[in-house]
Amino acid sequence: MGVDSGHPTVQLRNVSVRFGRMQVLKHVSLSIDRREVVVIIGRSGSGKTTLLRCINFLEEYDEGEIVVDGELIGYRTGPDGQRIRKSEREIAAARSNIGMVFQSYNLFPHMTVLRNIMAGPIHVRRMSRQEADAGARELLARVGLSDKVDEYPIKLSGGQQQRVAIARALAMQPKVMLFDEVTSALDPELVGEVLAVIKQLARDGMTMVVVTHEMQFARDIANRVVFIDEGVIVEQGQPRDLFSNPSSERLRAFLKRYREGYLL
Amino acid sequence: MLPTVLIDNIGYLSRAAGMTILLSIASVVPSAVIGMIVALLKIFGSVPIRVLMDVYLYVVRGVPLLVLLFFMYFVLPYSGLNLPPTLGGVLVMSIYFGAFMSEVFRAAIISLPRGQWDAARSLGMRRARTLGIVIFPQAFRLAAPPFVNTCILLIKSTSLVSIISLWELTMAGREVAERTFAPMEIFGGIALIYFGICYSLSRYGQYLEGRMRFGH
Amino acid sequence: MPINVSFLVRNLPLFYEGAVVTIELSVLTIVIVMVWGLVIVTGRVSRLRLWRLLAGGYIQLVRNTPVLVQMYFIYFGLAMAGFGLSGFASGLLALSLQNGGYVAEIYRAGFESISMKQIEGAKALGMTRWSLLWLVVLPQAFVRVIPPLGNQLILIIKDTSLVSAIAVGELTQTGKLLSERTAATYEIFFTLAVFYLVMTSIVGGMVRLYERRFAIAH
Repeated sequence: MGVDSGHPTVQLRNVSVRFGRMQVLKHVSLSIDRREVVVIIGRSGSGKTTLLRCINFLEEYDEGEIVVDGELIGYRTGPDGQRIRKSEREIAAARSNIGMVFQSYNLFPHMTVLRNIMAGPIHVRRMSRQEADAGARELLARVGLSDKVDEYPIKLSGGQQQRVAIARALAMQPKVMLFDEVTSALDPELVGEVLAVIKQLARDGMTMVVVTHEMQFARDIANRVVFIDEGVIVEQGQPRDLFSNPSSERLRAFLKRYREGYLL
Repeated sequence: MLPTVLIDNIGYLSRAAGMTILLSIASVVPSAVIGMIVALLKIFGSVPIRVLMDVYLYVVRGVPLLVLLFFMYFVLPYSGLNLPPTLGGVLVMSIYFGAFMSEVFRAAIISLPRGQWDAARSLGMRRARTLGIVIFPQAFRLAAPPFVNTCILLIKSTSLVSIISLWELTMAGREVAERTFAPMEIFGGIALIYFGICYSLSRYGQYLEGRMRFGH
Repeated sequence: MPINVSFLVRNLPLFYEGAVVTIELSVLTIVIVMVWGLVIVTGRVSRLRLWRLLAGGYIQLVRNTPVLVQMYFIYFGLAMAGFGLSGFASGLLALSLQNGGYVAEIYRAGFESISMKQIEGAKALGMTRWSLLWLVVLPQAFVRVIPPLGNQLILIIKDTSLVSAIAVGELTQTGKLLSERTAATYEIFFTLAVFYLVMTSIVGGMVRLYERRFAIAH
């Protein structure tokens, strides 16, 4: 299953975000095709997480447009071209089609693993309990955690919790999955099991936007790597070209620091 | 072992203790409701609403309960609002402890990690649903021990309504002490009754604290 | 409701007298409680079992009985037993006993929030027990104790109003007596409320000032 080029699932046009006086994203445009895996790299504070969070409107953007699966995110355009914030209901509905996995897992600690995964389908999709239950068990099998169905998150390792978080996002049958540094909080020996699940998703043809510090993983999984620095996309391209032959000074410096073993 | 004056009056004092418990329950429920509403308004309300809540909290935190009770007892009748004393007492207690309860709930809600909101919103849950499914179940557990502490403060404070002539345990104690000339035994005895009520509640609070974490 | 200003002016001396008693009682209670709390907290963390049990029992006792009942016990009870204390002294004693228990627990929480690592670090540097306490534990405990202590002091100021029930002529008592004799009750309670708000705001403001200075220092 190859990339469906020319059929963008996610499109950012001229997106800008300001936090007070600081401009975190500056006129960023990016288009992600169906079944494409785009990996975003950059230093911490470069704006890559903000970009990701704008896609499902967890972060509000000040300018530009974001379209996911044909639908404008967060705002509509008024008759005079002005931006009108969409209703909470519309924003929530759009989010339900966009899966997101967080650095700190963010599982619901008061629910069992199974309930965590069923929460979205039942309360947002209005699915029946039996159906949600069956779906959740299937997803847990896919991430290799069938034996943890009735455990509470606190009993799980970080890697296991993150796999549950992925299953929870997948339970909504999202059009696109967003991964926000999902291995950064993990002990090194637990990183592999989470990356394996994400790789499998890529093979299954899921459209994904991945923010990560794992360069080897980026090289393995990405159809395209986007390098962001100080709120602008500096360079993008196929991982092979980008990593072995960076054209910008900033990316060269970034990769050099990475190779010298600095934490990014 | 108990002094005879205490034993002789135990029936009367028990009925009075029942009244104290009744007053406490009648005040805890509305103050918890007020506390929850104020907490939510303080977190999610628009700026004027939040300012209004701050004024309420400021006044209640700065003015003694007894002065508020006197206000109800002496001042309100002049403005034509003649509440039955018991209802008035319960009302003032509820408004007063509503402020303390709101701090208990607010602290619990805002102490939950932001990620919980992020996760719920990313699944497409709206605010009310997020509160109901994700935030409240966790916040209630966090709030349980300080909630119990506030209940104990409230029970102790019901003794103040005796000063505005409501009949409950402390009032009954005064009556009996005056009649029997045995204030030490009587006030010692009613202190013990309060202790029994409050201490068992505080033990229950500790039990809740022990079971607070999920999956243990 | 129009405020009857001339009434307030006429009775200013009465309010003033009451306010002075309230301030005296508040300040005395606060001073005693801060010291008494320290005494009790040494019992809470003591190695002596008896002292620890006594302090623990004391805290449970005062936290689970109303201060008003304690006041009656002292004022009426001790008088009957031949150790009559004045209303003021009874109020002071009851308020100090009650709040000493709360303050001791605030102190303890402050101590316990200091990490053992720091204490071990200081020990490794060869500090004695006393210099450890003075240089490492107390300064940090102080910082964490100030906000809850401030809250407790505000509660103490408010609780001084209870001594009106044992005929001490402090501000609330003044307000109550005036209310029984005049119709200007609105003015009376407006005055009381403002006075208590000012008193408690001063303490609250001092705590916030302290917190802000500390935040800047970090």
